[in-house]
This record gives sequence, structure tokens and C-alpha cells, in this order.
Amino acid sequence: MAGKIVLCRCEDVTLSDLEHSVSRGYRDIEEVKRYTGFGTGPCQGKECLAVVALQLARITQQHPSAIPPFTSRPPLAPTPLKLLAKDPGAHRFADETDEGED
Amino acid sequence: MRLSGSSVRAYADESIAAASIACGSRVLSRSLKYHRPRTFFCFEGHCSGCLVRLGGVPNLRACQSPCTPGAEVEGQNAFPSAEIDLLGAVDFLFSRGMDHHTLMTGSSVLNKLANKVVRQLSGLGKLPTHAAAELPEVGRFDVDVCVIGGGPAGLAAASTTARAGRRTVLVDDQLRPGGSMRTDPRVGRALAEHYGAETVRTGVAVLARSTAIGFFPEDDGGVLAVSAPDRLYRIYARHWIWATGGYVVNLPFPDNDRPGVLAARAVGRLLVDHGILAGERVCIVETPAMEQDVTALAQALTGAGADVTRVPLADVVGTRGRGWITAIDTKRGKLDCDLVAVAATPAPASEGARQQGCSVVLDEHAGGFKIVTDDAGRTSTANVWACGDVTGYQGPAAAAADGARVGANVVEAG
Amino acid sequence: MQGANEDEEDESRADVSGEIRLPATLEGRTGNVPEKAEIAIVGGGVIGLSIAYHLARRGLTDVVVLERGYLAEGASGRNGGGVRQQWSTEINIRLMQESVELCRRFAVDLGVNVWFRQGGYLFLARNAKETARLEKNIALQNRCGVHTRMLEPKAALDIVPELDLTGIVAASYNPSDGILFPWPFLWGYARQAAAHGVRIFTQTPVGGLEPQASGGYLVHTPRGAVRARRVINACGAWSPRLAELIGVQVPTWPIRHEICSSEPLKPFLRPMVSELSSGLYCSQSMRGEIVGGVSLPGHGSTYRMGSTLEFLATYARRLVRLMPVLGDIKILRQWAGPYDQSPDGNPILGAAPGHPDFFLACGFVGHGFMMAPIIGKLYAEWLTGGTPHEIFVRSPLARFADGSGAHHEKEDFNIG
Ligand code: FES
Ligand code: FES
Repeated sequence: MAGKIVLCRCEDVTLSDLEHSVSRGYRDIEEVKRYTGFGTGPCQGKECLAVVALQLARITQQHPSAIPPFTSRPPLAPTPLKLLAKDPGAHRFADETDEGED
Repeated sequence: MRLSGSSVRAYADESIAAASIACGSRVLSRSLKYHRPRTFFCFEGHCSGCLVRLGGVPNLRACQSPCTPGAEVEGQNAFPSAEIDLLGAVDFLFSRGMDHHTLMTGSSVLNKLANKVVRQLSGLGKLPTHAAAELPEVGRFDVDVCVIGGGPAGLAAASTTARAGRRTVLVDDQLRPGGSMRTDPRVGRALAEHYGAETVRTGVAVLARSTAIGFFPEDDGGVLAVSAPDRLYRIYARHWIWATGGYVVNLPFPDNDRPGVLAARAVGRLLVDHGILAGERVCIVETPAMEQDVTALAQALTGAGADVTRVPLADVVGTRGRGWITAIDTKRGKLDCDLVAVAATPAPASEGARQQGCSVVLDEHAGGFKIVTDDAGRTSTANVWACGDVTGYQGPAAAAADGARVGANVVEAG
Repeated sequence: MQGANEDEEDESRADVSGEIRLPATLEGRTGNVPEKAEIAIVGGGVIGLSIAYHLARRGLTDVVVLERGYLAEGASGRNGGGVRQQWSTEINIRLMQESVELCRRFAVDLGVNVWFRQGGYLFLARNAKETARLEKNIALQNRCGVHTRMLEPKAALDIVPELDLTGIVAASYNPSDGILFPWPFLWGYARQAAAHGVRIFTQTPVGGLEPQASGGYLVHTPRGAVRARRVINACGAWSPRLAELIGVQVPTWPIRHEICSSEPLKPFLRPMVSELSSGLYCSQSMRGEIVGGVSLPGHGSTYRMGSTLEFLATYARRLVRLMPVLGDIKILRQWAGPYDQSPDGNPILGAAPGHPDFFLACGFVGHGFMMAPIIGKLYAEWLTGGTPHEIFVRSPLARFADGSGAHHEKEDFNIG
């Protein structure tokens, strides 16, 4: 290995990737998320959001309280389609009733 | 059960992760971009380091899957196997980092090649082999109080509201409730089990191995969706209490992602909850804020026969080892070890509460984005409360007291 | 503005990644907008940035882009990345043929990977009416040189073996349609535009447009006002709000479209798959995730961009029905973006009637992304003195007021 300081393990985002993103002008937490990919892996940022946000505050010389979190999106944990498909709130389309299934 | 083709003996009920650690099989998969080896870090289902293919289904968390007889466990995303991976050369070739956004955009021929190669390397885990089994209908709870999180704060809050006659449901995503009590040698497994049983006795409906996957304000006037292993639940409540605690996080030092670098709380959990000493020579990398927790853990590990060294984060300059860790480099020289435990302030698990509109603020001492509450435990959203580590790191004992207090305030509020 | 250190840091990376040395793409968070500019583009989405890039390439570099949020905050950062030529009107088919060409060259032309992959688009029909619709479109597409063909359901299985064909009666397939990764598109345009001198301000909402006696507008922002000879409204779903500032009515409305993404899987799904009866669509991204959505009727006009369980449940139900083997695949996240819905399904382009310096580039009904490469190019050609392409003649705002919209064909293939 090569001395990388990994901030987001799911997506292999390093401290230098974060610095690179900021130097490009992508310094909003949402822009950093998109440019580096941090927070988009299987854990959806559980392990890395706070770490990256604190580093971002340091690099951009802002008080941490000035950094908002990125938008929290459902599902909060990976959820199988088979489970969601059972939810009674699903919209039924015309072709489902036509075929008389369910 | 079978792990990557060889038989492993394990106790039923134990997690696959704990079983494989105990038998020395440790690298499970490879990371997406640099193909760095990946394995357990948190042992609590949140880091996704331990994704395996289980019974033909990809990307399941070994640390949250109980061992079952004959279970087929396979590693993922490596060629030819997770422990020896030829694609790891990617990590070496791009040792100074690569910007995949601009990689090989120099000519159209090269670019076509890049597109092909990247697609073949992408993804984690192959398609399932078969269609999923039919599942039961969605379950529904209409309650006075819904508590999310079954650690010290959540158990205390739920049993307080249930004792006062409030219909209460508690959602916990771990194999067994107890949260950080199962990781802290100052508390321990017996107490965790006692509080868990006590909570059930007070009449709380406990959904274990169940994750709150989202709060949906526009569906049905506001519903919390919860996924259990084979069933979806819809929960409607008058009051919500977030007691989700914090996620263990890593600390920034070079090669901090080497297998064998575990969260200190995971090392604690293995010892306290599973009776497994995960290393004989343990280095604990710590920040000043975690001093007391680390002291307790170091004592327990030493008591169990390990050789423990404590290293401040500021002194760490690198790690060594092919595959599993063999040493860390510090400003004062090389330290041989077979396990590194990282003690950082846990990051408040506030993203569920954020979906209910609760204000959070980034606070270094709190470990991340803590939920903002008033003295009574109210968040910025009506009828939504928070207690324990999710409002800033407190540790198990203080979190339990906080949970009981906020539970009582919820009762008083009606 | 960027400090000197950051620029150096940037250049030190140049040899590693083989990048051309460029200044930071976005302006810093402090500092004012310039006092004047030839053109102010309001909206830093893909349409605005594509126009900015093409203007700059044609030498018109005195341009500012004003984005009220972060880059990629609106629909441009929220779509599924589909790029297809299977449309129902000739002009859209022809425009999209050119867009596909531009997408193929994007990575090399702009130096940013957008992972454009031509895996084709597979549309599935469940009844005779849907089949007839596909057949009619295909005839037109073939006349335009797009090689779409009808398939027996069984042949669809050769392309996507995971399909459950129960109830599927026909399919149409065009192998040269594709998908790309939306965000780098914005970065690529932004970066090259900035390299040519265009200044891009994020977190800079426009609060007022003050017409000037000599023509043009004083464009007010919290970071000062810029006097612009011409203003381009590229605000997507928010276009009516900007137009309102000078009393112009833009008859589009925002429709929320939800979308979600699965865990990354090894590549197995080649084309974008879309089912007409439910508006279900899904494709596998370069990262291996299954990205897709479904049409939910009845949510009306809204700027709310929250996520619903109804969407997740509907998508899951339809997708598992179509590809049962995906039942155990897990959804990682869902989000939503606004379609800028126009009354006839076609965009609104050109100057607003009575306001010769106020240009519109809106009403793309969820397809602004795939249209942006060609629309930006044509718009820039026109604004720098070229003759306007037919699309500008056919898409004026006036068509809704004076009834001339009657001769404008309605685009009815606004799905996927
Ligand atoms: S560690 Fe960043 S997404 Fe998981
Ligand atoms: S998710 Fe299993 S070790 Fe972290």
C-alpha cells in the first residue's frame, strides 16, 4: 500500500482527494460528495460523513458549525427490493388489474 | 458452515464475522477503486467492510448474519481470491492517487479502453442465483412512543415510557439489543442482557435485527418504515425518541484502512460480547477525548492476556503488513502488533432524525453531526426527542441516565 | 477567489493524472460578481453550462453563470443519465442523433469521463396499443436513420435474460442509445468554460432583474449586481419564477420525479430497460448500481423534492415483477428531481415576446440532460450571429398565447 489516508473506505476516498476537490472549487459538502464519491458507498456515509465534514472545515478554514450534513436519503440501510415490494402503499397500474393477478 | 470453500466450526447464533475472526480467516473482499483489501472494522453492521456472498445473495454483512449450519459464505470482488488479489496492482500503479474523472481522456481509443476496463472492474458482488422467496404481509404498529435504537439510552427510555402505561415499540438493528453496553468492559454483556430482558418485561414491543430505513412525511401522514430480516413494518407513533447512538469511525493516518485496523469498540465487543481476544499484541491509536474509554479497554485486554500499547494519533505515521497488519510506524519508531484498535469519538447517528426535520450541528467534541435538543430532550421538531450519544458522545452509563430522564419527559408531555 | 497555494496544489497533481493545467472551476464563496457582462446565464445546470461552454468556444467569453445553489443541485444532478434517439417527433429524433454524437466525443473533447456507454434502450409493451405506439415511432425513427427495430418478446430475452416475459407482447430496441454519468458532464462544461474565461458563481441566487434604458438588465444578487446585455433563463423547473421578475409568464410547472439506486453489482445489464405501462425504467451505471424509477401519477405541481415510500414500494413491486432475480438486491438510496413540464411536452426557446434581451431555455420535461449537448451548441451558434436552427423557430414562448402552437407536434414519448 502507499501511504494513503483513507477517509471513506467504501469508495476509497483519501484526504488528498478531498483537498483536490476543494482546490477545484468543489467545496460545498454536496459538491464534495459528488466530485469525490465519498458517502455514496454501501454504508452511505455512516462511517465517513462526520470525518470528511470535519476535515472539510479544517481545509476551508470554516467553523465546523458552518458545515451542514449532506441530505439524508432513505433507505437508511440497504433494503432488499423484495421487502419494499410488499408495502401496501405501492401504486397499482391498469395492467395489474387487467390481468387479474394479485 | 463453509467459508470460501473450507469448513469452519462455529457456534449457532454467533455472527459469521465473529466466527471467522476466531478461526483466522480475515480478508473478505476488495475495495472498488484501488482494490485494497477490505474486512471487518466496526462489527456493528455500519461500515460495510465485511460484505460477503451468503447463500447465493451478494453484499450481506457478515457481522450481522448469524451462523447457520451449512451456510455457504464467499468473499467478493477479487481475482482470484480476496486474500491474494492480482488487481491490487491498481493500488500500486496509482500510488499518488488517481482522478478517475480525467483518467485516459487523452484520445478516443484510450478512452474507449478506459470505459471498458472500468465497467468490468466496477460493482461488488454478482447477481443472486435465484428469485427471492415470497414474504409475509407488512406489519403495522400504532403506538404512543417509538424508540429508535436499543442501546443504553433507548432501552432506558423505552422501559420508562412503557412503565408509565404508554404503548411503546423499540427498534434495534443489532443481532441483540444492548448497543454500546456490549462493547464496554465497564458494563458488560450480563448487564446488557439484564436491561434487554427488563425492557421486554415492562411491555415494550422489541423489534430486534430491525432497521429504521426512513421516515416518510408524505406517506399516510408520516410513517417510519422498518426492515426486519424478512418483513417490512410501518410504524405510526405520537412521540418519537431517537436513541441511535454513534457510529464508530476511523482516524486519519497513512494506510489507516489496512486489514487489522479495527474500531476500538469492535475490539471491545469481540472481547466483552463474544469472549474473543482478537489480537495478542494490540496497539490502541487514540485521541485525547477517548482517554477514559481507552484506559478501560486496555485494562480488559491486558487482563485477557494481550500485550497492549497506547499511541496518540499525532504520533502515527504509517502501518505495515501484507494482508493483515504487522506493525505501525510512529514518530518514535516501529511497533510490532497484530491488531490496531482505533479509538475516535463515535459519530452521532443522526440521519434518521434529520429526515424528521430535526436540526443537527457539526461539533468536533460530539464526534460529528449531533442532534440539537433542549434540556428536556426535545429536538427542533414537535414530538420528536433524542437522548444518549446521538446528542453528543456520553458513554454507556451517562447515556442510560439520559434515556431514563428523556423517557420521563415524554411521559409528562402526554 | 482561490488562494495561490491551492492553485499550486492543483498543478502539482497535474503530472499524476495527466490533466491539463486549469484554474479552479468555480468562483470562491466570497467576492462580488463582475460589474458587467455580455451575457448572464441564470441557472448553472447542464443547459446553462452547455450554452456557456459553447459560447466561450466561439469566442464569446464575457459570460457569467449564476447558480443559486451548489453545482448539480437541480435536475441536472438528479437524473438517470439516459440518452436516447427513440422519440416520436422528427425534430427530436434528429436533435438527439446529434446529441449522441456529442456524448460519444465528450470525454475526449472536454477531458472529463462521463462513462457514456451505448448499451441500447429496450422498450417493453404489454398491450396492442403500446405496441402500435412503438411501431409508429419506429417507422419515423428508421426514416431518420435510427436503427430501432421491433422485437418478439423472446428476442428481448437475448438482450436481457433476467426478464420475466409474462404479459410482455412486444419490444423495441435501438442499440446505439445509451447512458452516462450526469455529474461529470457538468464538471466538464464548467471546467472548460472557466478555462476560457467564463465566471461561474455558485450559491448566488438572482433576486431581481432591472431593465436598462439602453437594453439589457441589471441582475441583482447578494454578491452585487451585474449589468448584462442579455440574460438567459436556464433555471429548469424554476424558470417561471425568474421570468416573473420581469412580468413574463412561462407556462411550465414543476413535477417531482423520484429515482433510486441499488448496491453496486458486477455488470450484467446492458441496455436501459423501460416498460411503457408503468413508466418503469432501469439501467446499470458504470459503477454497477441499478439506477431507475417509475411514473407515479397524481402528485401534481410541486417544488417538494422529498422522497416517498410510495415510490420505493411501486418501483420495487414493478421491478421485481419484471426481473424476479432482483428480489434480493438492495436499494441504497433514493432521491427526487423536478421535471420542468411544458404544456405540449416541448421546450421553450428564444427571446420572450416584447423582451428581446431575455432568452428562454426551459421546458425540457425531464430530458434537458440528453438535449443539452446539442441545444447548447445551437444556442451559442445563434447568439454569436449564426442563423437560428429550426428548433428555435418552432419553440417560441408565443406559441402558447397566439394559438400558433397548433402546428407544433406534441411530443408524447417523455418517459425513461
Ligand atoms: S465509508 Fe464512505 S460511504 Fe461508506
Ligand atoms: S459492517 Fe460488518 S464489520 Fe462493519
